Amino acid sequence: MPRVSLSDSFMKPFKACSDVTGLEVGADLSEGVPAVRLRKSKGQVEMVAAGFLDLPGALPMLSGASEAQTWRLPAPFRAPHAALAIRSPHASLRHTAGGHGETADRAGSLRSVSRQTAPETPPLVASLPEFQAAWAARLLPEGHRPTACSLQVAAAAAMGGFAASSALAQAGGHAVALFVFAESTSLAAFQDSRLVFYREHAVGMDHLRDAISSQVGIEPELVDSVLEDTLIDPVPVIEPILRPLYRQIEISADYLLRRCKCQVEHFFVNGLTVGGAHWATLFKSVMNQTMTFCSPFDGIGRTGQATRLPEDVEKRAPLLMTALGAARTVLEDV
Amino acid sequence: MNDASLHLNLLQDDERFGSSPVRARVMIPLLAVLAVVGLGVWWLLLIARVGNATNEKTLLETHCAELKPAHDQVLALRAREKEARAAVSQLGFYRTARIRFGDVLGHLPQHVPASIQFTELRVPPPPLQPPPDPALKVKPLGPTNLTETVSLRIVGRASSGTSSEAIRSLLEALRKPAFTNLVRKAEIPKGAFRQDIARGPAARENILFEISCDCGERRFE
Repeated sequence: MPRVSLSDSFMKPFKACSDVTGLEVGADLSEGVPAVRLRKSKGQVEMVAAGFLDLPGALPMLSGASEAQTWRLPAPFRAPHAALAIRSPHASLRHTAGGHGETADRAGSLRSVSRQTAPETPPLVASLPEFQAAWAARLLPEGHRPTACSLQVAAAAAMGGFAASSALAQAGGHAVALFVFAESTSLAAFQDSRLVFYREHAVGMDHLRDAISSQVGIEPELVDSVLEDTLIDPVPVIEPILRPLYRQIEISADYLLRRCKCQVEHFFVNGLTVGGAHWATLFKSVMNQTMTFCSPFDGIGRTGQATRLPEDVEKRAPLLMTALGAARTVLEDV
Repeated sequence: MNDASLHLNLLQDDERFGSSPVRARVMIPLLAVLAVVGLGVWWLLLIARVGNATNEKTLLETHCAELKPAHDQVLALRAREKEARAAVSQLGFYRTARIRFGDVLGHLPQHVPASIQFTELRVPPPPLQPPPDPALKVKPLGPTNLTETVSLRIVGRASSGTSSEAIRSLLEALRKPAFTNLVRKAEIPKGAFRQDIARGPAARENILFEISCDCGERRFE
């Protein structure tokens, strides 16, 4: 039976989140912890602050070995609420045949929650080890801004941000989107802006970097420059890695065609910082379709610190996809 | 809640905290306790004040009881003082309202002919006042009317053959300025001019007369 305390009864009417800082925990980026503060005012979402915070962002990987941490965010990111997106190899996001609604299974060592995202679609289930969820929930202490109002797995947060983006709206709500992470790539198909299909592939940017580094014979730190300039053509290296992924995109497009009798014409890629041109070239040759690269900042107004973001933050905006998505998912779920 | 939302929130209810430094779950019980303590203190203060007021009332009642005989005595003395003051005031009225007959009557012998003998010279008492209202607790010390009519009655006998002229000359004298301060009007009432038959035939030539003088009013103010 759910516990309802007196203070909860008093406070719930005031808990509508309209100012949220999204944080990606466990991304383990050299830049820092991705953080984006969004505010919803008069129905419009605007970005207040964005950047990479100098905080210890590594997740505990073993139960019992975790040391409690508390974070204090810089002033521009001190919204009343925070949405934490957890990137963990132990996290999972998948469709399942059983269960409906937002019921959480907390009986075992996994904390899970499921939700049906579209009619006649199996519910989407997000799971996270209990010790990681409990550790993350204690990161932001009571009595200081912000405090956690949401705990999401990274892939769901990234998809949530895209689902509310102007790019999907302009595509008429029918699209296939890729979310490129370091260790994996998520593939999602949308119909009427509802998620109808989700798959995760164990191919990420780190696999491409490793392949280029080993086959071209350069230091891993130089791989991004290879992907950006035209001196070396990396397509022969990355094609065997991306082709299975593109084959899955083709299957997803066929699924949408059978489901809604509509040809998918919009293919979006999120989270890609370098090498987009090679992804697009290969995609054109395999699928004979055009790939659109999205920035998480597209279609979002800016205010405060976000009006003058540093150049390196603007350049690495795709890495803020998950943090922004976590915050936006909360704002759109009111 | 948005049906199409991808918000899969793994945060539990007991992991939701407020960001406000003022924590409701601490402040509400604290305020409740403070309110109860405040009410208790107020109640104790109220009881103490009521006790003090009761003690003070008892002391005042005792003091009043001790002062009651002296207070009654003061009230009685005040009533007596008021009564004496009224008597003194009434006496003052009498003194200021007194009419001095002496000086005027001193001039009278000069104007009385030798043939006239006064048998009575009298200031009659004022007419009787109606009896005081028995409902009045304090009976008036004197007349309660502001004015009192004063008259002078002269009764005499004339023994000469010209007695009627002598009496008329006396009446005229009383109307002269020497008497007008006192005598406003002098006249012989009807039937007051007659022969003296009571003393035998020898006294038949004597005439009895009476002159009534109106001396105005004296005012008790």
